[in-house]
Amino acid sequence: MGSTACFVMVSKNDIPIYEAEVGIVPKKEDAAHQHQFILHAALDIVQDLAWTTSAMFLKAIDRFNDLVVSVYVTAVLCASFFQEVHELYIKTLLNPLYLPGSRITSSHFDTKVRALARKYL
Amino acid sequence: MVDPANTTLGRMLLDEISPVVMVLRTPLVEESCRKNGLSFIEMLSPFCNFNNIDVPVRTASDQPYRLRKFRLRLFYASEIRQPNIEVAKERLKQVITHAGEKDLPELSSDPPQIETVLATSELEFLPSWFQYFNKELVGAASFAEHEAFDHPVACLLAVSSKDEDPVNKFVDLFNMNQLPSLLNDGAMDSKIPKHFLLVHDNQDGLSEKATRILTEMRSTFGVNDCRLICINSSADGFGEHQENPWASYKNSPSHNQQQGCFLNVDDIDELRNAMQDLSSKHIIPNMELKIRMLNQQVSATRKGFKNQIKNLWWRKGKEDGPDNPNGPTYTFSSIETQIRVLGDHAFMLRDYELALSNYRLISTDYKLDKAWKHYAGVQEMMGLSYFMLDQSRKDAEYCMENAFSTYLKIGSSGLQNATRCGLWWAEMLKARDQYKDAAGVYFRISGEEPLHSAVMLEQASYCYLFSSPPMLRKYGFHLVLSGDLYKKCDQIKHAIRTYRGALSVFNGTAWNHIRDHVHFHIGKWYAFLGISDEAIKHMLEVLACGHQSKTTQELFLRDFFQVVQKTGKTFELSRLQLPMINISSFRVVFEDHRTYASSSAASVRENLWWSLEEDVVPSLSVMKTNWLDQPKILPKKYRESNVCVAGEAIKVNVGFRNPLQIPISISSVSLICEHYVSSDEKESDASSSIIDHRNDEESNKLSVSRDFSVDTSLFNLSEIEITLEGGETTAVQLTVTPKIEGTLKIVGVRWKLSGLVVGLCNFESDMIRKKVAKGKRKSKKSMKDNLKFLVIKSLPRLEGVIHHLPRTVYAGDLRRLTLELRNPSETSVKNLKMKVNNPRFLNAADQDVMNMEFPACLEKQANSTRSSVQVETSKSSSSIFQFPENAAISGEKAFMWPLWFRAAAPGSISLYITIYYEVEDLSAVIRYRTLRMHYNLEVLPSLEVSFKISPCPSRLQEFLVRMDVVNKTNSESFQVHQLSSVGDEWEIALLEPIDAIPLEFLMAGQVLSCFFKLKNCRARLTAENEICSTSKKADVRLGNGHMGGFFDISSSPLIMFHHYERLHEEMLDQEHQKTVDFILISQTRSDSNPEWPNSIKVFSHHTCHCSIASRSPIWWLMESPRTVKHDFSTTFCEINLSMTVHNSSEDDISVSINTIDSTTTINSVSSPAPVSGNEVGWHDLSHLTDIKVTSDVLGARVAKSLSPESVSPFIWSGASSTRFELKSLSSAEIPLQICVFTPGTYDLSNYSLHWNLLSSSDKRDNLNESQPSSGTCKGYPYYITVLQKD
Repeated sequence: MGSTACFVMVSKNDIPIYEAEVGIVPKKEDAAHQHQFILHAALDIVQDLAWTTSAMFLKAIDRFNDLVVSVYVTAVLCASFFQEVHELYIKTLLNPLYLPGSRITSSHFDTKVRALARKYL
Repeated sequence: MVDPANTTLGRMLLDEISPVVMVLRTPLVEESCRKNGLSFIEMLSPFCNFNNIDVPVRTASDQPYRLRKFRLRLFYASEIRQPNIEVAKERLKQVITHAGEKDLPELSSDPPQIETVLATSELEFLPSWFQYFNKELVGAASFAEHEAFDHPVACLLAVSSKDEDPVNKFVDLFNMNQLPSLLNDGAMDSKIPKHFLLVHDNQDGLSEKATRILTEMRSTFGVNDCRLICINSSADGFGEHQENPWASYKNSPSHNQQQGCFLNVDDIDELRNAMQDLSSKHIIPNMELKIRMLNQQVSATRKGFKNQIKNLWWRKGKEDGPDNPNGPTYTFSSIETQIRVLGDHAFMLRDYELALSNYRLISTDYKLDKAWKHYAGVQEMMGLSYFMLDQSRKDAEYCMENAFSTYLKIGSSGLQNATRCGLWWAEMLKARDQYKDAAGVYFRISGEEPLHSAVMLEQASYCYLFSSPPMLRKYGFHLVLSGDLYKKCDQIKHAIRTYRGALSVFNGTAWNHIRDHVHFHIGKWYAFLGISDEAIKHMLEVLACGHQSKTTQELFLRDFFQVVQKTGKTFELSRLQLPMINISSFRVVFEDHRTYASSSAASVRENLWWSLEEDVVPSLSVMKTNWLDQPKILPKKYRESNVCVAGEAIKVNVGFRNPLQIPISISSVSLICEHYVSSDEKESDASSSIIDHRNDEESNKLSVSRDFSVDTSLFNLSEIEITLEGGETTAVQLTVTPKIEGTLKIVGVRWKLSGLVVGLCNFESDMIRKKVAKGKRKSKKSMKDNLKFLVIKSLPRLEGVIHHLPRTVYAGDLRRLTLELRNPSETSVKNLKMKVNNPRFLNAADQDVMNMEFPACLEKQANSTRSSVQVETSKSSSSIFQFPENAAISGEKAFMWPLWFRAAAPGSISLYITIYYEVEDLSAVIRYRTLRMHYNLEVLPSLEVSFKISPCPSRLQEFLVRMDVVNKTNSESFQVHQLSSVGDEWEIALLEPIDAIPLEFLMAGQVLSCFFKLKNCRARLTAENEICSTSKKADVRLGNGHMGGFFDISSSPLIMFHHYERLHEEMLDQEHQKTVDFILISQTRSDSNPEWPNSIKVFSHHTCHCSIASRSPIWWLMESPRTVKHDFSTTFCEINLSMTVHNSSEDDISVSINTIDSTTTINSVSSPAPVSGNEVGWHDLSHLTDIKVTSDVLGARVAKSLSPESVSPFIWSGASSTRFELKSLSSAEIPLQICVFTPGTYDLSNYSLHWNLLSSSDKRDNLNESQPSSGTCKGYPYYITVLQKD
């Protein structure tokens, strides 16, 4: 992976439920929206591919300049990173106070994801 | 699949890859044409397009075919060269700028919905200038030396009839060294067929001269190659044409002159025929001829196995030579170029098979020669040939890709070609519905030139849009990318156009960074163009960007203010998200018959007040029963809508939240209200005629505060200013005070952000989920109704406050407080009542208490009357305090009333006080009102008092009381002042003098234990014939007596609070003999309180229902002389004892005394079991333990001391068991006797009393089941000393 990375979890209807910039290099001001644009646009590809493959992990499905998009589709890198985040996400889903599809605000989730990112990316 | 020729690419190829005709003309020819506003080529070009030329063609094969569509491209000789890149760039820029200007009017409209975008077809949607732009780009790569289709296939020489010596002119034109360098240096074949055209301007006279010249020409150049055309036959210059053939060829109509105005129909026909002849009779046959000739040549040298081997060997040999970076150069005569020319000619004549085979042939050669540009060009043509043949898509794509990447590989010189190749490639993919791939190609075309890239990215985005299924996100993303590049090239209008397109995708997206980016930039660009409405509309979307970094937030806000300031106007924006209105904190507080003393009282739940006011307020049923008496009952509408009183403010609590990290300042925060003078009914009456109604409404809507000129005669609005720090949430209270009767409607709230922008929030529309403070009764109503108020005539309204009510207080603190009531209006009120939710804490006092000294008034007065106690308790039991009748208050004078306050129990206490009053004005709609007061206080634990009572073993009806006082405070020190027992029948005294209590103050955390003797006077009264009825000693002084007398616990307020304490303990007024109540009064000198220095605080601690009962119903007492002297030398000693047994239970019992003549040595008593406790002042330790009747300890001790050998030093004489019966509450004296044999001290505890209840079992069951029906009590230690008489 490159020096900078952005991790987004998207629920149905394109709603990003969790976002984290997990890069090492201090990001530029416009990196945030640039990453969002790239990831958002990559969803089009995901939408196409999700029907053609049974694999959950789609490596490097899209690229923009030097940024590569990998996707882990849960009931839709490192595959292990995505898997562990998936587990975290399921734990979040089990929380009765969490409304599925809404934004994840838990700080615990955030720290866990960042720790995983440090470990794997 | 459609015919490839009919696709966009097919048509493009037909245009671009068609035979080139070089045009040479004299200046006079040009001059004649200029009269029509056209150049010579422009004049001819419409007629070079043949849709159905229908010429039979036979190329390499023997099978002829017919050519339908055909086109010639005309170029002046000066144009036959590679175009200047800079000039081309400039032209492209102009095209874009021009296109941008045309788009401007649309920019202010709303962006199209994505659904409608998807519904429109591609051709409709794509900007028309794309095609033109692409054509220009393709043109920029023309006349490359590695391609042959731009080589002129013929030369057209035009000389005017006015020219001198026209025939020589023809010769000169071609011989002059002005021929293009490409022809001269051998890149192109200069031996091309020539065609001679004599142009005659009919305005210059008759055509006889021209005809003569033509004859001369024909004799010189050949009959077939010469032609005369006459132009400008229309003399008047107004030659109108059905359709302007030049319209589509002139792209920049720079002048108003009608194009071709001097050309009449004959002229045009002549031009058309001339060009048709040129094509069909000269150019096409010439090309056929050349193809056949070249084909033969190529077959001879290159076809066949032998030639191939030879060629291969020969090429290999060339490899040793030095590498030319551009590859080898080929002249037109080289075999490679010949093959290429053959291919291109075949391509132009639609013989794609032939073209393809030749391209294939040459492709390997170029590759071996490392002539990369040539190779790429051939690959490109191969791809196009495949496409036109509609076979092997894969090959076509492969060739195009190969060509494209090869062009890119050779660097800047291949850039134009790469662009052209990419465009064709993309078009090829589009023609096959591979839009997604086409988008990728466009993306790859976008190179370093930002403007080109912008256009390419935009085209890419449309490809995503039209791919199936549509890839909207990619569409949006590429539009944004393209917009950014447009902006970089200062093409703001294009940038806005693309962003608007992107908005139709991103509108309402949850991807907040995307949304912010798009809205912010488009807003800024609109502002740049001066379209401030749109700019502000978009900027508004990004203002509430809590997720952005602080610097970004500052940037957004600053730019927004700049835009607003630039307009110089004050905008009213209903969607201003700064600050955000917190819907959950929205509350309306209004006062009808309920009034609130403070905002905290208003926030208390309504049903709490309802339960409190239940028996104070006349109930609804009561009102119904005497409806006849009431002159005015509330009309229906009054009950249905909210009622408020003129002159009294309606308070609206609105929560503002600053979503940003930077502070924002808001000013002029106020409500928006509407006031109607008429009632609803009147309005509905008026609705019979629509016009009337409307007029009515307009006239009624006298003041809408939306305009700044608020009519203050109708209502007053409060205005406040706040500054919200980053992330801060503030609730503000806004008020509207209606002044006259009518209907008031609260519409919304308005505020001014940083003094620049006015924000509006309409409650009705913006808050569907409403929360109005009023009770459940109204919850079913809509928000609209809740914000509508019926304003009624002004009423008196009491204002009340309790002075000096402490916020935090120690438990037990007893204070006198003052209730102050004011009635600012002139109308007086009457029949005041007060109710407190917790009378343990707060109670009304007598009015005369007001004037007394506080702690002193509690002290026992010499003439205190005991009768007051009963009055007090009976009064307080009803818990509603009725103020005296004369307490009607009005005017400015404050009405004061004392209250008693006692902090009864630790904890957080809410006090709710409601004061009911009636309005004297009989015409008022509301007859009574209530004033609700609410106070919260924190009661801290102070002294914890506990009592242990045990019967005194030595006296009947006397008890030992042990009081433990713990100071639970952190710092406060108390001085215990007095302990009182409540009630008539008790007398209390210290066990030892005051001085023995070793402290002045009880410091924090300290424990004090005191022992008291408690006597039951009533028992003594009966027993001792009323000796001490006068000397009441219910109080004990505990301190050192430095302060006044005793506090009177039998008068208000202490007795009253005591009553509530008893009530609180839920034993009600059951006068139980077996319990006693104590009141401990302590004081503290509060030096810390700055308000009243050196004041004394009084604390009273009430302990109720301390049980005095032991388990056993019987008490007994041994009586005898303690010391007996006897002469043992004579006989043993008989000692008479008497035992008094008292039945303290309410039942009759039977008692039996059993004496046990067992061993108890003298010594055995010398070691009583040590009892824990270092209590001060306690001596009679063993008694305490012995009192435990069921004592196991005692039994064990007795058992232990038994020694079987020893002889008992004394025996009980008389019956070993005595049984008798005792009536309830009676005593009996039983004589007992012991015999002692030796002198010594004897413990007479070896007896036991057994009792059982005699009353019927069912009665007992009813009374108290817990009590045992029988029991055994061990004897108390009782010592007798017997001495030897001298």
